[in-house]
Amino acid sequence: MRIGLLTDGGYPYATGESRLWCDRLVRGLPQHEFDLFALSRSAHQEDQGWVRLPPQVSRVRTAPLWTPEDGTLRGSGERGLLARLVTGGEQSYGRRDRRRFTEHLTALAGAICTPDEAGTEAGEGPGAELFTEGLYGLAELARERGGLHLALRSEATVRILETASRARGTGRTVQNATVPDHLAFAAELERALRPLSLDWYDQESLGAVDLCHAASGGAAALPGLLAKRFFGVPLLVTEHGVPLRAHYLAASGTPYGTPVRALLAGFHGRLTTEVYRQAAIVTPGNTHVRRWQQRCGADPAKQRTVYPGMAAERFGQVGEDAERFGAAGGSDDAGGPGTLVWVGRIEPAKDLIALLHAFAEVRRAEPGARLRVFGAPAEGDEATTYLAHCEALAAQLFPDEATGAHTEGVSPVTFEEIGGPEVPDLVEAYGAGGVIVLSSVVEGFPVSLVEAMFCGRATVSTDVGAVVEVIGGTGLVVPPRNPKALADACVALLRDPERRARLGAAARARALELFTVEQNLAAFRGIYLELMSHTPVRREADTVDAHGDPLPFATPPEARLLGHWTQPGPHLRPQPDPEPDPSAAVPHWAAPGARLPDRPGEPEPQHTREPEPEGVCAVAAGPAGDGDA
Amino acid sequence: MTRPDDPATPAATPERPASAPERPAEIRPRTTARRAPGAAARRGPADPVKSLLHHHRDLCERAVDPLEIAAGLEAHGLTDRTAARYRHRDVFALAEELYARMPPRTREPAAGRPPGPGPDTDARAAWTLLALLPGAACLATAGVLRVTEGVLGDGTRALVTVVGALLACLALRACLGRGPLRAPEGAGRAGMYGCWLLSYAVYGEELLAQIMTGGPDGPWDGTPAPLLGLAAAVAPAAWCAHLFTVHAHRKLTGSRALEEFGAGVRPLLLAAVTLFLGALLPLLYLADLGLGGGGTPVAAVALGVLFFVARLLAAHGLPEPGTVALAAACAVEAGAPALVLSARLPGLEPLAQPVNALVSAGGTGAVSALACGGAAVGLLLHAAFALSRASAHTRT
Repeated sequence: MRIGLLTDGGYPYATGESRLWCDRLVRGLPQHEFDLFALSRSAHQEDQGWVRLPPQVSRVRTAPLWTPEDGTLRGSGERGLLARLVTGGEQSYGRRDRRRFTEHLTALAGAICTPDEAGTEAGEGPGAELFTEGLYGLAELARERGGLHLALRSEATVRILETASRARGTGRTVQNATVPDHLAFAAELERALRPLSLDWYDQESLGAVDLCHAASGGAAALPGLLAKRFFGVPLLVTEHGVPLRAHYLAASGTPYGTPVRALLAGFHGRLTTEVYRQAAIVTPGNTHVRRWQQRCGADPAKQRTVYPGMAAERFGQVGEDAERFGAAGGSDDAGGPGTLVWVGRIEPAKDLIALLHAFAEVRRAEPGARLRVFGAPAEGDEATTYLAHCEALAAQLFPDEATGAHTEGVSPVTFEEIGGPEVPDLVEAYGAGGVIVLSSVVEGFPVSLVEAMFCGRATVSTDVGAVVEVIGGTGLVVPPRNPKALADACVALLRDPERRARLGAAARARALELFTVEQNLAAFRGIYLELMSHTPVRREADTVDAHGDPLPFATPPEARLLGHWTQPGPHLRPQPDPEPDPSAAVPHWAAPGARLPDRPGEPEPQHTREPEPEGVCAVAAGPAGDGDA
Repeated sequence: MTRPDDPATPAATPERPASAPERPAEIRPRTTARRAPGAAARRGPADPVKSLLHHHRDLCERAVDPLEIAAGLEAHGLTDRTAARYRHRDVFALAEELYARMPPRTREPAAGRPPGPGPDTDARAAWTLLALLPGAACLATAGVLRVTEGVLGDGTRALVTVVGALLACLALRACLGRGPLRAPEGAGRAGMYGCWLLSYAVYGEELLAQIMTGGPDGPWDGTPAPLLGLAAAVAPAAWCAHLFTVHAHRKLTGSRALEEFGAGVRPLLLAAVTLFLGALLPLLYLADLGLGGGGTPVAAVALGVLFFVARLLAAHGLPEPGTVALAAACAVEAGAPALVLSARLPGLEPLAQPVNALVSAGGTGAVSALACGGAAVGLLLHAAFALSRASAHTRT
């Protein structure tokens, strides 16, 4: 099967987001052919080069989403011979194309500017229809005539946007837009719609793949939408973060005025809804993402939560030792059972200060306890300052202690970087502790928690992000910003080695079941098969023999049937109809692992958070996880 | 195996619904910079959402829809569990209430926009200096030629001329590459046509005169005065373009509708061209005086304006019209001698009539004056429309 993997600023670029995940996916499913369609984010990223690609990647197409330094973007605008001879420049659309452009852009702008009326389902209503009409109209225009980027920068675009924003039914914010706002939005729109102008939409490129798998929503899914539109290729969207949410967080840092942000929010909201509506299956990376997707109009029946997989092998030794000897790791003299360990990238959101205060309480109850903090500060001055602040606080709270009058004293709290002589790698760091503590106030998908679970360690975490969903009762959870509760939980575990061992073993079992690379691969393998069972591959070349004569039985007679034979629609839903439908039986055996994480009846964890923007796998490579690929 | 962990430990039960109204202040989300909670915050108001609203006032004021508030709240560590304490199902519902309760936006929409980049004195000085270079190179060449008259041989003088022309070209290239005259999208083939027009300004009149009297009869002298004047006018051109750009930007920031902006920019364009004319005329006059050309500078003035407007358009990302206008002027200038020459063929005599009439009315300079003047006027009219569009001012 040929999979078109669509990425945006990620794989195969060496500095991309979620490249580890994509790499594992491509390497883990060698039975499929992969065509990569990658959008790059910056010149810097392109300069960094690619990762080494496995042989199952048959083709790589890339395109920039960024504007070169000099601000030009030479496109394939149509030019007349005379114009080219005289000016050497480009010419924009003729009258007929101009009319098409105006019509479609008017529809698109109308949909963006006009919010849906209250009570309208996301993806329904006149706004969504207008949006799809405009978007696909522009895509067809760009595919046939090219030159969309020039048209989007023209005065006509600004004029259409102005008219649309002054129309009835638009919000007050949008109505207040000034000329610079419209110009800024037109420029942003041109950037966002750049995937429409790519030369990927022909029979040899996206038309040749059997399945489009978008590694993220947003810009990466846009080519997938068009491939579905033009060639009927089914679209699978995997999201480890919510692009819309990331857009909101990023937009508040831009210098744009409120009207531009409102317009951009309108565009991205509509686009996200359309992606979810058109996707055959959407795989959120955790429940938090799942909820955002539902909020943006994703059909729950199309959603399959697939947890990001992490390489469990390197934690195997520590984890097995833990099972054999108990949580302290047997002959562990470095920290031993009385040691609390924190691992991660040091930044204010991790709330190490609460951890230090909690540890002060722990020391009051258990004077022999130690705390080891492993990790380097995150990028940025703020994190460095925060680390210095934490170290100062630790020195203040916990003076150096010596065992006798003639020995050198050490502080019970140490800040260490992984990779030093004492702790050469991440696994050692986890192995050094009896209890792993997570004290964050903000957290996405807690990678360090999963790693601790792989190591078979008992954990105490704060109730943030996807922690509850990940830990699932195999560790203690306390409210965030509550050092007292954190301390109580730590003391309870430190005093009860048996419980520690029990929790650690349960955590390891849970992690091995849910968060391994294998489970991730199995889920996607199943989803691919499930999608294929609804949209069988039909290649012209397979139906003729070497002489070009039609082969008998190459196309099953069912293929000639009218109707829903190949339509994904209702069959993907978990069989609501009591009527036995012969074709509905296919997906259920085809994808045994796919639904694993969200079986009906499993209570949905209440609160989750998306992983940090650079994607889960990038985070996995965080403090010292470089050997992770 | 192990039983699922006992969440009986009191500290480990976040699940406990917080019904007590005195709780909210305690779990009230704070920014990650931990600030000491005041006594009032501990006690908590009767309406917890109000304090939340107050706390995230910035976020709620900036937000354009409820989802943005939800994203911001989550980034501050607020979860569905916390939202439950505010009697909401999830963060989305809480964000919707916050969005709805936010008083109608009172702030100016333009308030959040930072002012445009301030005057960059260094950069301005740099491109001004660069813009002075072509004029300086031409002046130096003319000076050397004047001083060495009769001292050096013809060959050396020709060498000096070539070197001077080269220097002037390099300087022109440098000053067109940055500053207000920079064309972000290139200028197409305008350079080629510009060279032709300049050489015609220098040698064209003499050539036409010789052709009309039966020539060409061999080497003819050029009139370098327009070249010197035009080279010196690069600096004022840069300044006029800069002023136009700055004022157009100011106009753009303040305008609410496209028509309003267009109506405001057209006078600016006229003012810029007039200003440039005001600088160009004395420069050409002085150059004429210095080099003793004695010709009418009308053609040179027209050429200067043509160049200025074409470059102004190119600097705003519209190189094509300027290139077309330059090409048209070239065509007319090349057409005149061609017509005269072709009239020598038997039966084609009438072809020379218009040129003859033109030359008899205004001298040989009338041809280039007409060509450049017509092109300049046409281009100016086009620019009055093209540059009054807002989209022309995005990239400058």
